[in-house]
Amino acid sequence: MLQSLHSNSQNAFGPRCTGSVIETQHLSKVYSRGLYALRDLSLTVGKSEFVFLTGPSGAGKSTFLRLLLMQDRPSEGELFVNGSNLSKLSRSEIQEYRRAIGFVFQDFKLIPTRTVLENISFVPQVLGVPAAQQRRRAFQVLKWVGLQHRMSAFPLDLSGGEQQRVAIARALVSDPVLLLADEPTGNLDPDLSLEIMNLLREVNAGGTTVVVATHDRELIRLVGRRTITLDAGQMVELA
Amino acid sequence: MRALDYALREGWASLWRGRGSTACAIIAIALAIVVLGSLLLVTWNVERLLAEWTSAAEFSVYLRDDATSEQRGAIETLIDGSGVADGREYVSKADALTRFRSEFTELAPLATGFEENPFPASVEVRVRAEAQNDGRADALVRRIAALPGVADVRYDREWLTRIASGLAAVRGTGFALALLMALAAAVTVASVVRLGLQARRDEIEIMQLVGSPIAFIRGPFVAEGLLQGGLGALIALVVLWLGFSAIGGWWGAELGAVLESGSLQFLPARFCASLVAGGMAVGGAGGLVAARHAA
Repeated sequence: MLQSLHSNSQNAFGPRCTGSVIETQHLSKVYSRGLYALRDLSLTVGKSEFVFLTGPSGAGKSTFLRLLLMQDRPSEGELFVNGSNLSKLSRSEIQEYRRAIGFVFQDFKLIPTRTVLENISFVPQVLGVPAAQQRRRAFQVLKWVGLQHRMSAFPLDLSGGEQQRVAIARALVSDPVLLLADEPTGNLDPDLSLEIMNLLREVNAGGTTVVVATHDRELIRLVGRRTITLDAGQMVELA
Repeated sequence: MRALDYALREGWASLWRGRGSTACAIIAIALAIVVLGSLLLVTWNVERLLAEWTSAAEFSVYLRDDATSEQRGAIETLIDGSGVADGREYVSKADALTRFRSEFTELAPLATGFEENPFPASVEVRVRAEAQNDGRADALVRRIAALPGVADVRYDREWLTRIASGLAAVRGTGFALALLMALAAAVTVASVVRLGLQARRDEIEIMQLVGSPIAFIRGPFVAEGLLQGGLGALIALVVLWLGFSAIGGWWGAELGAVLESGSLQFLPARFCASLVAGGMAVGGAGGLVAARHAA
């Protein structure tokens, strides 16, 4: 099933790079009064890799994801995704770039006034995909996360785990090459957390690069993937 | 096309969701358009009547009772040779009295107590429209007034000119007022649309994160403004029509006595369409201002 999800041609952005999907060079983000959220960060994330980003609160995990989502611009250094320097993207190129990125947040960010299926088909809808394709593709990913029977429910009628699965389905509906997850299990109990991680592992198995920011060391140990540890905006450990 | 379809559907849905606050914006637009529409209705009708009266303009040359036939002949020769007249008619003293009795039946007894017919003979001259505008009619009136046998010449264009200039002042003031009200309506629309925008922050954030085109993000807010403006304008037209009909019902007989029957008309379709387009433009501008905060 996962293979069929990725059977469509994946979105591409920038010049193709066979090695790393994410590459940073002396990346820094300075907020007001000279406070460094990230300092001199240099790392790479390979294609189809599953990477954990961890560290205490305020370590810079979310800031890094914000930079990757182009919600913020780096203050210093370079950030490349698939070979494109994100600092140099124009407004329309940012839109194009974001279409190739999936995102999952701790608070799910589902639209409460829309049904589960509408929450997912909303993405292709606002990207101008024809209506029939929107619903077909939305149903396909919803089935993949095992929630096709809840497609007419509203987000607030679902459990936290189900809401996060809907959020993952929404992230996958545009067939991204890179999936970013910011504390995706932060609101879930340990069993549901592992369930969500297994889902993300399946996504990764289909070829999508996955970056998960979490402070849950136990979960990282259970999943057992490469881990980048940040503290006070700097990389302190690469395991 | 899909962006337009999406914008209209989402704009309508948002308008319906926030119908309480939306009603305020629609009323604000409707009020502005009622003011503008009333002004148009009045000025358009008055301008039309002025044009009718101007095209039917004529002057009357009243002859002295002792005017000779030679003097009358000289007057008529001057009129015919001037190129100003579209036609003329001699009204004798007896004809004038008959006309008075038939047109003012209630006043007719007043004319019976005189030993002699008190009405003067006259020559009524229909003036060509171009001669009114280029001043030849005025020049002819002055020349006729100086001829022997002429008691008076009445050429009442001055009041038409005064009405026309008064109308211009009313129109200027009214348009300024309507413009201010339209501005206030646009600000109201922008505020209402921004309220809707705040309620849809999550949707907008998701749209931005998935790389949605600007047209999809801003479109619904502009469409919401356009719809508010269009609805406001339609309501204003209905109010204007009801007001126009009511005035016709209440004072139709009195107006009919002063003006010719059927002289007052409601705004033509092109004006109504312009008002709706204007309302939509005001609403759309308000929506666009609000939408700029979305992306």
